[in-house]
Amino acid sequence: MKQKCLEVLEQVYLFLDGEGLTEVQRIEIEAHLDDCGPCFEQFGFYEASLQITTRLRGQTHCPDGLKSKIARLLEQA
Amino acid sequence: MAEVQPADLTSEEKARFQAEALPLLDSLYGGALRMTRNPADAEDLVQETMLRAYRSFDRFEAGTNLKAWLFRIMTNAYINTYRKKQREPRKVSSDEIEDFDLYQELKSHDPQWEMTPENMVLNSLVDTDIIEAIDDLPEQFRLAVVLSDIEGFSYAEMAEIMDVPLGTVMSRLHRGRKALQKRLWEIARDRGIVRGERKE
Repeated sequence: MKQKCLEVLEQVYLFLDGEGLTEVQRIEIEAHLDDCGPCFEQFGFYEASLQITTRLRGQTHCPDGLKSKIARLLEQA
Repeated sequence: MAEVQPADLTSEEKARFQAEALPLLDSLYGGALRMTRNPADAEDLVQETMLRAYRSFDRFEAGTNLKAWLFRIMTNAYINTYRKKQREPRKVSSDEIEDFDLYQELKSHDPQWEMTPENMVLNSLVDTDIIEAIDDLPEQFRLAVVLSDIEGFSYAEMAEIMDVPLGTVMSRLHRGRKALQKRLWEIARDRGIVRGERKE
């Protein structure tokens, strides 16, 4: 594995989270992924495995009973 | 049960809290459920969080992120109160996590394996499997994964909520995701979805 591959894989999560990278760094990573099949595949895997948890976003709902109880408590407070 | 104390808020502040904080109850309850892993404790934790927040709402800086502020209060309440009576999460050693990489693991069992949507084995797992795996994570990792991946907080917001430096947030999140992949792989293996020897 080339030095560039290691560098890119180190930064996969920063890239996916949209955190801590400059625009130039992002463009460099994208360019490397376009050129390097193994990195592209591994990147796709991390992206897909992240989506496994992010798909739980907004899935849980607060029970209605608790909502009305809290609204009532706030009225009294 | 949290005691209701008169909040020293103007009627404008009271109305603003109700209008802005009540719509966040679904998020708070979701977060509380993954922290406590128990619906009854989650309900108590959300109620206590909302009452604490209401009482100190005059200290909330208008224009800043209310959801992050509420999660910070909830995280403190959880750590100070509910954690004490929690079952100990399954022990995962740090070495075990550092060494694990799901992609390499799948490759090593099948060198021809390629990541495509069709054989993205983890997609065969259902939401209850994912939740089970998250609930099994050690607390600090679980909190980082939940705040980031499920609640969508930024690293900076997580640093505020967990009251730790940014570097600690990144390290906990990175290791938490690795630990989660490991746990998901174990669940997939137990279901016969992936091949692999049991390593204990």
